[in-house]
Amino acid sequence: MGVIARRLAGHLARGIVMILVVATISFFIVRSIPGDPVAANVQKLIQQGMDPVAAEQATRVLYGFQPRGTLWHQYIDYMSGLFTFNLGQSVSHAGQPVTQVLGEAAKWTVLPVLAGTLLSFLVGIVLGVYAAIKRSGKLGDVLAISGSLLHGVPQYVLGLLLSAVFATLIPILPADGPVDILYEPGFNAGYLGSLAQHAVLPVATYALAAYGGWILAMKSSVVTVLGDDFILAAELRGMKRSIVFRYIARNAILPLFTILALSLGLLLGGAVFIERIFNYPGLGLLLLDSITMRDYALMGGAFLLITAAIIVANILADLFYSVIDPRVRGGEEVST
Amino acid sequence: MKRLAAVVALASLATATAACSGGTTNTSGGPGGGGGLFTTIDVSRPGLDASAPANIWNPKGNSFIGYNAMKLGWVKNSLTDPNQFYPGIAAKWEIAPDNSSITLHIQPNAKWSDGKPVTAEDVKMSIGLAYTTGSTAFALTPGAAGAAADVQIVDDKTVKVTQDMANPSSKFARGVIDNWVEPAHIWGSLLPADFWEKLKASRGTGATADKDREEILAIGQKVLAFAPPKDVSAGPFTLERVNPGEALLVKNKYFYNAANVTPDQVKFLNYSGNEQVWNYLSAGKLDHSGFTAAPTDVMTRIKNAPGSEIIKGFSPVAVGMAFNQSKKPYDNVHVRRGLAYLIDRAQVTKVASPEGGTPALTTSGIHQKPAQEWIGPELSKLNPYPHDVAKAAAEFKEAGLRQKDGKWTLPDGSPWTVTMTAPSGFSDWISAQENIKSQLIENGVNAEVVTVADYPIYLEELAAGKYDVGFWLMALGPAPYDIFQRLYGTPNGWTNVAGKVTHNAPGKAGNWMGGPEELDVQGVGKINPGELTAKLNAASPEEAKPIMAQLAMAANQDLPAIQLWDYVNTQFVNTSRFTGWPAQDSDLLRLPAGVWMQLGMIKKKQ
Repeated sequence: MGVIARRLAGHLARGIVMILVVATISFFIVRSIPGDPVAANVQKLIQQGMDPVAAEQATRVLYGFQPRGTLWHQYIDYMSGLFTFNLGQSVSHAGQPVTQVLGEAAKWTVLPVLAGTLLSFLVGIVLGVYAAIKRSGKLGDVLAISGSLLHGVPQYVLGLLLSAVFATLIPILPADGPVDILYEPGFNAGYLGSLAQHAVLPVATYALAAYGGWILAMKSSVVTVLGDDFILAAELRGMKRSIVFRYIARNAILPLFTILALSLGLLLGGAVFIERIFNYPGLGLLLLDSITMRDYALMGGAFLLITAAIIVANILADLFYSVIDPRVRGGEEVST
Repeated sequence: MKRLAAVVALASLATATAACSGGTTNTSGGPGGGGGLFTTIDVSRPGLDASAPANIWNPKGNSFIGYNAMKLGWVKNSLTDPNQFYPGIAAKWEIAPDNSSITLHIQPNAKWSDGKPVTAEDVKMSIGLAYTTGSTAFALTPGAAGAAADVQIVDDKTVKVTQDMANPSSKFARGVIDNWVEPAHIWGSLLPADFWEKLKASRGTGATADKDREEILAIGQKVLAFAPPKDVSAGPFTLERVNPGEALLVKNKYFYNAANVTPDQVKFLNYSGNEQVWNYLSAGKLDHSGFTAAPTDVMTRIKNAPGSEIIKGFSPVAVGMAFNQSKKPYDNVHVRRGLAYLIDRAQVTKVASPEGGTPALTTSGIHQKPAQEWIGPELSKLNPYPHDVAKAAAEFKEAGLRQKDGKWTLPDGSPWTVTMTAPSGFSDWISAQENIKSQLIENGVNAEVVTVADYPIYLEELAAGKYDVGFWLMALGPAPYDIFQRLYGTPNGWTNVAGKVTHNAPGKAGNWMGGPEELDVQGVGKINPGELTAKLNAASPEEAKPIMAQLAMAANQDLPAIQLWDYVNTQFVNTSRFTGWPAQDSDLLRLPAGVWMQLGMIKKKQ
């Protein structure tokens, strides 16, 4: 069995155990959150004009989707359901399978966050290399300052700023959901164009918010690599500037891949503020909604999805590292 | 890198295509083209769910009241009469003089959007669905007030519903009319063949009846989760499609009054917070929106949007500062009265709800608009508790409180702090409590505001008697019983099961107000407010008036809660594209704009 296969087997085993542990912890934690969702729903219906008796019955029917029996029995059912990807039924979505509800929301989180993260990563590492090489010039200063500034601005401030400028002051981009309903969904220019147009502001927000971190990390990594002997040797051998640049970039980027993999794992956590500002009803808003409704199955499912994504991202990062770094592939220890 | 560049170029091209195309696809299939697109939000249900079915019982369902979801009739926003309706699926109705039955006559031209006629069978099947999901007249709870005893199809277009007179309610007709109607050919399979027999058996007592009720509730869960393959509506619109940002409805050419429905399409916008609604309104995007609380500067921005107008009317609800009388010193009525004198309600309302409320004239338990009609001259005899620091001090002294270094203390000299609790997110309540806190501190009463994480926690802890003072919605009209059960119902110790009233000790069975079971009301004598409230359930308006006067006097004298402000129904409309909006104070104001369209009111601006 090769090194990579052994590593994969070990990671998978540890990952499965961690997921089961997290599922157990989240099962009990979500059920210990205080609050009386039944009374809250009754009061909500009464305020909407429903008679108290009718409101109580309507609430009883709705919360009938909540599993019954002792907590222990519920736990056994929940854990056995996990093996068939059955996370139960959502109360707030009136009996819809939790996996289906999560799947619907996930796509509106994954697409913009993934696009924003990858965009910021690509731009950040390229400019990070330039910022390091030109660190004593004006361009280097400008790039470093832009990274520090954007790194310090919270995501929601950037989101509000972009929304105020491009959706209100100069209204050239939409900030009200993922696509215009008047376009027929399908593979047609109007619909796809509307999707892309609506994605510009949220993707730009994610990208700008993450860009600062990448450029600063890459600059720091490149500066470390620049002092290595092999770069000096390459320069002394009179290698082309572009080849030296590639040497620098390939070596400096290694630690950033770990961060990228973890960021991709975290992306399923959603970004509540951005989803709210741009009306993208993704996982972040879904999780908030499920907490308000005390929708235990949905809360547990969302926590589990986020945790599983991080665990899987860790495994992939480690495997990827094995592939791109010959020292790790050969079984050497490497410090990052 | 080359691939990335290609992807970026493609995305840019797509963006440019959309940006340049600018226009929208008109998918209207309805007649009378050119009626335009009507844009709105559903204020009662934030958050569209694109995967949810067109099902009105589903909490996330894509059925929109008055647009593609139809009731038998639409309840008017009457000050005092709960049995006033606009026609819906029922064109007309006859209520028996003793309130024992209601006969419904279905619109003769009513059709579903698939062209099939709406029949009495549809209405009866829908009543069956109502039993499974929770309804006032079609309640499963044994002995529930105003429950129906029998549903009878008279002919293809007529249904008669009879009330169980063992525990009648003056709201029976409302309980019947205020129900959804769905097509039997789509939804009928949800009810088992023996449903009506099972329902009959469930009205009894014992294990079998309990089992039958459980089975009917289990059907309710199927109803909530039911996903019709296609939206089939008898309303003016049908659902075309939904995405997470918007829902599109198109005109239903089979609607019985389609000729008078102007818009061709209706677009519902998604929102997850008030700020999105403010942005829509400020940008003039919405043709109509129900009330959304907004700070003064935002309200000014909304009012300044081109075509923006505000229509106001009666909203049958008030907010009160309610006391836990199990806790000292709130068990002493003089303390409660002292606080009533000390709090300037006009100032509180101006800060907390300038557009959505008017300061309560006094505490009567009734919203000030219908109060005159219900209790007439007695209203002027109630203590208005005007803002009066001297009177407050006198009341506090009467309660035995002491003043030390300008601060009020408990009778034993220990510090007194008025701790008010509100749920996070209830911005008007929190603003009000902060203002009250300032007023109290200014006058020597220590005060603090505590916010709890959310409404479920607030209600749980309130019911458990954990708070000294909380805010509580009261005066929920128009039915007299509903008005007073907020003060003299379960929260204050009285439970009403099948018309039998019992009183629970403070801290038990949800009694968090902890008031006395009997009150000695000046000019009336000793009364049991909970029993009097229960009598309102079946009382005629004339019988109700003296009872309500007694209860108003009790509430005014005993102050289980200080009525702070009476809510105002505030609707935002935009006159840039459509006209024909309801007038100020119209009895249509609590109904959605879809009902206004059904009635032929909304017209395209010429």
